[in-house]
Amino acid sequence: MSYKKNEDLDSGPGGSVMDKMTVFQDCIAGFNSSPIQPRRCRGLLTKLAYLLSTGDTFARDESTTLFFSITKLFQHKDIALRQMVYLVIKELAQNADDVIMVTSSIMKDTTVSSDVVYRPNAIRTLARIIDASTIQAIERLMKTAIVDKHPIVSSASLVSSYHLLPVSRDVVRRWTNETQETVLAQKMFPQYGGGISGPTPSFTTQYHALGLLYQLRSHDRMALVKMIQQFSGASGSLKSPAAVVMLIRFVARVIDEDRNLRRPMYALLEGWLKHKSDMVNFEAAKTILEMKDVTDEEAFPAINVLQLFLSSPRFVSRFSAIRILNRFAMVRPQNVNVCNIDIESLINDSNRSIATYAITTLLKTGNEASVDRLMKQISGFMNDISDEFKIIVVDAIRSLCLKFPAKQASMLSFLSGVLRDEGGYEFKRAVIEAMFDMIKFVPESKQDALSYLCEFIEDCEFTKLAVRVLHLLGEEGPSTPQPTKYIRYIYNRVVLENSIVRAAAVTALSKFSVIEDEAVQESVKVLLRRCLDDPDDEVRDRAAMALRLATVPIPVAKGYLAPDAVPSLGVLEQQLILYVTGGPDAASVAFDISTVPFLTKDQVDADNFRAKVSSTMPSIGSSLDSGAESGAKGSRASPAGGLHEDSTQAYAAALAKIPELQVFGAVVRSSAAVALTESETEYGVTCVKHLYKAHLVLQFDIDNTLKDTVLEDVSVIASPSEDFFEEQFIITLPKLGPESQGTVYVAFTRPEGEYETASFTNTLHFISKELDPSTGVPDDTGYEDEYQIEDLELGVGDFLVPTYVGNFQHMWDQLPYEASETYGLEGVSSLSDACASVIESLSLQPLEGSELPLQAATHVLKLFGRTVQGGKVSALVRMAYSVKSGVTLKITAKSEEEVVAPLVAAAIA
Amino acid sequence: MSSWFSRFYEYILSLFWSSEMDITLLGLQNAGKTSLLRVLGGGEFTSDSIPTIGFSMKRVRKGRVTIKCWDLGGQPRFRSMWERYCKGVNAILFIVDSADPATLQIARMEFEALVSKPSLEGIPVLVLGNKNDLPEAYDVDSIIDIMNLKSVDDREVSCYSISAKESVNVDAVLNWLVSKSN
Repeated sequence: MSYKKNEDLDSGPGGSVMDKMTVFQDCIAGFNSSPIQPRRCRGLLTKLAYLLSTGDTFARDESTTLFFSITKLFQHKDIALRQMVYLVIKELAQNADDVIMVTSSIMKDTTVSSDVVYRPNAIRTLARIIDASTIQAIERLMKTAIVDKHPIVSSASLVSSYHLLPVSRDVVRRWTNETQETVLAQKMFPQYGGGISGPTPSFTTQYHALGLLYQLRSHDRMALVKMIQQFSGASGSLKSPAAVVMLIRFVARVIDEDRNLRRPMYALLEGWLKHKSDMVNFEAAKTILEMKDVTDEEAFPAINVLQLFLSSPRFVSRFSAIRILNRFAMVRPQNVNVCNIDIESLINDSNRSIATYAITTLLKTGNEASVDRLMKQISGFMNDISDEFKIIVVDAIRSLCLKFPAKQASMLSFLSGVLRDEGGYEFKRAVIEAMFDMIKFVPESKQDALSYLCEFIEDCEFTKLAVRVLHLLGEEGPSTPQPTKYIRYIYNRVVLENSIVRAAAVTALSKFSVIEDEAVQESVKVLLRRCLDDPDDEVRDRAAMALRLATVPIPVAKGYLAPDAVPSLGVLEQQLILYVTGGPDAASVAFDISTVPFLTKDQVDADNFRAKVSSTMPSIGSSLDSGAESGAKGSRASPAGGLHEDSTQAYAAALAKIPELQVFGAVVRSSAAVALTESETEYGVTCVKHLYKAHLVLQFDIDNTLKDTVLEDVSVIASPSEDFFEEQFIITLPKLGPESQGTVYVAFTRPEGEYETASFTNTLHFISKELDPSTGVPDDTGYEDEYQIEDLELGVGDFLVPTYVGNFQHMWDQLPYEASETYGLEGVSSLSDACASVIESLSLQPLEGSELPLQAATHVLKLFGRTVQGGKVSALVRMAYSVKSGVTLKITAKSEEEVVAPLVAAAIA
Repeated sequence: MSSWFSRFYEYILSLFWSSEMDITLLGLQNAGKTSLLRVLGGGEFTSDSIPTIGFSMKRVRKGRVTIKCWDLGGQPRFRSMWERYCKGVNAILFIVDSADPATLQIARMEFEALVSKPSLEGIPVLVLGNKNDLPEAYDVDSIIDIMNLKSVDDREVSCYSISAKESVNVDAVLNWLVSKSN
């Protein structure tokens, strides 16, 4: 078993390259021969394991044949062979049939004495081959293995239990006591190899056991809290730093979910800041700084600890510390200020990754005066760092531009400088994005930025970037004082570039033909005419189109060259695919573009802005929750307002297929899905509200979670609280099988053009039939049943579409009608919660980053959107928080339509 | 060093003196395959063994012959895999519960399906009516009739009535097996 052997793996015995089929044949022959030659078989298994681990796969029947041949090796007692057998079976298990065959053989091996080397392997393999119907048979065995005195056996069975969770959660849950015992048992991993070469002794089993315990208890918060209190006790029952880190993550989740526990949990975290392991210190500090609206007093000790680490002699400590601080500086730069002196000394750190983080942190915490000095320092070492870090720097500078527009000149010259340097696509893209943003948000920089970009495409090796820049030049160029300047740069591309760039250049060029200047128009025409001789037909086509448009009146041409609204591309693509795959029937009629919703420029901007904000915001949520839970949690945590645009598009396609609903016309607005039942009930119901011009359609998505019941004739009786909603019809669901989903639609008329709100009480009606467990056939006689689900509110928010606007103040001053209202929210305990709930119930777009309160006491939230009729709506929400009275807020709404402003102002009640 | 030497010594011995053979134990669930194997190997009979999931392998020594016994699970889901483990064995042991008339018919069908497999042609079969210590057990002739053993003519078929619990006829089984080694 020397390491030399591994080098031979790529070439089989005799130097030939390892071939999958040869190995397969050799294995079948070798394993079925008698008597077994353990050395030879071990070699074959090693080759097989090598192939499987390097990504080769065998077909299902081949895998099964291999598997059964391998089972023949159980007749030999050779320990090393048996171990290898387990390793390979574990790999093959997912891809072969009837792997259950080895269960009894493995069970025999798992009950040998602890120090047999293959026992952990046997346990791990067992978890891979067992299925839900046989898991009971191994229950006792697993319980015994979990509490085994040998840590490796114990760890193997704990980790295997993780894998068994999806097979049968209920059975694994019965092992809780054993798992708990293992956490407390403090088994020490033995030290191998005389202490020098081997790993240091550790308590990793604790870590595994704690993780499993969490999986078993995560549904029950009280149990989780109890667990945290038990293991965080002063007795220090957790010896493994990894386990403590995991415990801290549980604490983070508890803090996130239950505010009442925040104080005691924070005390625990503060204690861990002084733990003897660095790993624990970092995790505790990180968790504190990631708490929702952490106060200055709470953050202080964590920052203090990190500050000490900044001058640690170890790279990894400095790196971790600066990285956490950098993240925190994105949200709360003023709190990180205190570390600035230490951070400045890291700029010259020999580790470039640390230096990069130091710089970007300083860029965030620094004031306007220090910007120039920092920029100079960054330029000094830009060449020494990898693209990945360059991108971080560029992103930092981008946010800085938006923060200090006055400094745009120096930052722009920095960006143009790095643009000239060597760099990969991702890096160049980041720089280009940053410049695009500057053009959009810092109007003073537009002229210079455009010239730099022109210069960039003169020598740009990335087609994609050249196309984007050309597009931007086409968009922005015509409105600049000297459009002719850009025409020259654009035309150069037509002469020098590949066909993709040439086509983009022609399109950009054509946009200059709508400038109200005879001379410019003429020269553009001359240039376009030259493009008619291009070797590429796409380029010629575009040029011909542009020339034709140059002969029509400018307003008409503008409709083609710079349209106000573009079709929603996602829906367009989907519709086209449906059309193309629809067969001859669909092809007999022309494609109907009117089924595709059009987005105005504002809406596209709002989408882009939203995407940008969500990608640059540090994600606070931890990745701990898994499985079904994270699904439920994720949908709740998704940013309010962010989903509306997309949901309308996604549902529109489905609704268009229902003939009864087609007569209503196009959907104006679909809300996000609202859950009307608790999760984990027998029937899960969510509802989506679709607004039509004069109708309202409620879409109830029903999930039958029962394994043995079929629902027939499912309908929902929704009674509105107001009379002007008149029920039209219900599209019922004839049959809903066990563990499946279905949809019921209820249609109402609604007063056209008005914003009437109402609430609906809903009841689920169905005939329930139980399945015969042996045959799976439902009983003939069912019984009628009702199932009460929660009420549904149709609020003002359902009539509003979040929309992005660049200049809030300007828009605010324009709108004619105003109304305001004041509220006291007692149950809400922080401004960020209040912001989230206001945004959710109003369904308006938060602007200028105002959805994140920076101070704990007061905040102003700026919102903008449109009604489904298209009228602009804007709201200014001033809020104040005090411990005694909760959140007080005053909504001032302004709107284009007279009725809307008071409705919005009153929406929270 | 000494273990290496003794292993070498055993190897030399085995070259000249000993031989190995493969047999499979088949039969419906709860016929007594695993119990019989334990008794064959010289162990104590226990009545509370858990059902075999898949297969388990055990070596039994009789004189100079090592018998590798593949004990296969008898539940319906495993029956389709019997054939895989019967190919190339020296003998098949088919065990029935002679005290349970209800299962004997199913056992006969499984048995007939097995002997009709072309890949298993010519392999000698020993049918064992287990649990003959129970008062309601059929005797050997009744089992031969019920299992329709007389109709099998392409191979050697024998039938014993045994009791794993009382060790009745267990030695005869071993002797029969040894006679099939080559």
